[in-house]
Amino acid sequence: MIEVRNLWHIYEGRKIALRDVSLAFENEIVALVGPNGSGKTTLAKHLNGLLKPTKGEVIVDGLNTREHSVAELSRIVGYVFQNPENMFFEENVFKEVAFGPKNLGLSEEEIEERVKWVLKQVNLEGYEERHPYGLSGGEKQRLAIACILAMNPKYLILDEPTTGLDEKSAESVKTVIKKLYREGHGILLITHEMELVLELAERVVLLYEGQKLFDGSVGEFFALNLRDYYLDKPEILKISENLNLGFIRSVGDFLTKLEELL
Amino acid sequence: MMYNFYVERDSILHRLDPRVKIIASILGIASMILFNSPTMLFLLFVSISLSLAFLGKITFREQLRVLKPLFPLMIITIAIWPFILEPASFGLFIGFGYALRLASMAMITFGLLITTSQRELILGFIKLKMPYEIGLTLTIALRYIPTLFGLAQKITDAQKSRGLELEKGSFLTRLKNTIPILIPLIISAIKTAHELSIALESRAFGANKRRTFLYTIKMKSRDYFALIVVLFLFGLALYLRYQLNIGYIKLY
Repeated sequence: MIEVRNLWHIYEGRKIALRDVSLAFENEIVALVGPNGSGKTTLAKHLNGLLKPTKGEVIVDGLNTREHSVAELSRIVGYVFQNPENMFFEENVFKEVAFGPKNLGLSEEEIEERVKWVLKQVNLEGYEERHPYGLSGGEKQRLAIACILAMNPKYLILDEPTTGLDEKSAESVKTVIKKLYREGHGILLITHEMELVLELAERVVLLYEGQKLFDGSVGEFFALNLRDYYLDKPEILKISENLNLGFIRSVGDFLTKLEELL
Repeated sequence: MMYNFYVERDSILHRLDPRVKIIASILGIASMILFNSPTMLFLLFVSISLSLAFLGKITFREQLRVLKPLFPLMIITIAIWPFILEPASFGLFIGFGYALRLASMAMITFGLLITTSQRELILGFIKLKMPYEIGLTLTIALRYIPTLFGLAQKITDAQKSRGLELEKGSFLTRLKNTIPILIPLIISAIKTAHELSIALESRAFGANKRRTFLYTIKMKSRDYFALIVVLFLFGLALYLRYQLNIGYIKLY
C-alpha cells in the first residue's frame, strides 16, 4: 500500500506545491487530475522518493521515503515520465529495457528472461534490435513503460501516457494499462484527458492549488461541476446524460445502452 | 545555478553605453599584458577594484566571490615562478604579479558582465559591427542554459527512477553513469536547435539584410566623455611602457 500522510511540499523560493495531502491506494487504477500547476507531478515524485516531504510522510509498502533512496524505491514504485525520449540512450530496444534490471544487479539470464517477458507485456515482441528513437509515438510510450516494468514494480505511475498519441497508438497504450491492472499492479494515472479517466479509472483524486479537493469513485467525480477546476466532461458522457442514458464508461457502453433504449 | 551575472543597480558603470564598456574592457585587458612589474600590476588591480566599487557599486565582498574560483590557479602561479626564476624571492615576486594580472583580467570581465544586461551587451557587440547572427546565437545560447538545466533535471529524475545511482561508486563509475543522462540531453538539444532554426526561418529571419531595432542604444555626451577618458588612460599606459619604460622588468 502507498500511504501519503499529511504531505506538504514547499519548493525553494517558498512556492507551496502541496498542502496537507493525504491519500492511500493499493491495487487500483487511480486517476490524479487537476489543472496545470496543481501539484500532480510534485505529488507523484514523492511516491518514489524523487522528492522528500517538507512536512508529513510517504510510506511505500512500509518503507518511509525519507529513509530510502530512489534506486531502492524504484523496485516498488515505477515512474514512467511524460516524455519517453527523456530516458532513451541505448542503441537498441533490448539494451534499453535491460538498463533497469542491470542497475538492480540481476544476472544475465535473469535479465534476458525479464526483457523478453516485459516486451511481451507491452506488445513489443520482436522489437529487440530496433533503435528506440526509430519507433512510433505509441511504441516509444510502450517501450518507456517496458523500461520501468522491467524493474518489476508493484505500483506504476504513468504521467500523461496518451498525450500526443494518435487514436491507434493511444489504444495500444490503454490496452497495456488495463492488462497491468488485471495482473495486480496498482496504477496512478496522471492525466488531463477526461476520456482516459472515464475509461480506465476506478477512483479519481482531484488536486487544485496543491490541495486534495476530491477523492472518490469515477461516477461521483463526473457528477462534480468540473468547469470550476478548468476541466470538462467527455463529450460522450454529456450526450449520454442528455439522452437520459445515465453514466457510461466508454463508447461501447454508450452504444449498448442506446440499443437497449431503442 | 549561475547563468546570468547581471545585477540591476543604479551606478555610473551601469548607465554607461555598453560599447564604451566593451572597448574599455578590451583595452583594460590589453594594458594588463603591457606591464609585468608586480608593483604596476598591483596598482592596476587596486584601481580596477576601487573603480568597480565606486563607479559600479560592486562591493568588495562581491568582487571576492568572483575571484574565489581563481584562487587555486593564482596559488599555482605564485608557487611555480620561484622554480623558474633565480633567485627564488624574485620569482615569488614575479609570480605574485602574474597572479594579480590573472585576477585583474577576471575582474574586468566580471565587471562588464555584472554591470551590463545580456541584451545590452549583445546590442553593444552588434553595434560594434559584430554580425547579427553571432549576436543572436549568443543570446540564444545564454537563454537556453536554464532550459537545458531543467531538461537535465528531468532526465536525471527519469534515469534515477530506473535505478541509476549517481552518488555511488568510484570516479570512473560516476563518470560512466552520466552517459544515460548526457545522450538524451544531447539528442534533445540537437532536436530543439533544429526546431528553433525552422521557427526562426518561418519568422523571416535573414530575409532582409538591414534589420531595425525595437530597443536601441545611443551614445550620450557622458558616454563620449567616458570613452575619451578610457582612450586617454590607455594612451598613458602605452606612453609609460614604451617611452618611459616604466612597469616592465626584463626577466631573462
